[in-house]
Amino acid sequence: MAELGEADEAELQRLVAAEQQKAQFTAQVHHFMELCWDKCVEKPGYRLDSRTENSLSSCVDCFIDTTLAITGRFAQIVQKGGQ
Amino acid sequence: MDSSSSSSGAGLGAVDPQLQHFIEVETQKQRFQQLVHQMTELCWEKCMDKPGPKLDSRAEACFVNCVERFIDTSQFILNRLEQTQKSKPVFSESLSD
Repeated sequence: MAELGEADEAELQRLVAAEQQKAQFTAQVHHFMELCWDKCVEKPGYRLDSRTENSLSSCVDCFIDTTLAITGRFAQIVQKGGQ
Repeated sequence: MDSSSSSSGAGLGAVDPQLQHFIEVETQKQRFQQLVHQMTELCWEKCMDKPGPKLDSRAEACFVNCVERFIDTSQFILNRLEQTQKSKPVFSESLSD
């Protein structure tokens, strides 16, 4: 197998990282869909009304804030435990 | 070592283009089927109250709305996440594991 030059290897790493990020993002969207579809969409109408959109925004924001809060709390605990 | 021949993917281990195309098509078919199953499950719960002797027009319209609103919702969440990522870049790190 031919060895990749440094430039090609860097390019390959960049491509792989980009694809990984895309996959991760898609997984995040899928996850949010599972959480928020049930909570926010009761009966699907002809379009997303403002009430549904607000509910979806709140759903996403609350989940993000919760994740940050819990992550922060764990970081505190680990820090205290390490000292 | 001449690395000029490794452009356009030929240097990354040549794969039969027909086989590659076949794999792409099959992967896409599988993804589509998964999506159909997922949507059938979601929309069945939203749109079917009591199954009758046939699919009435109200349920049918609901299914159409369901699929379209699902796509709208996915897009909405995608946009929202992109917005949030710009204002709170820390988040993407804490989500990745």
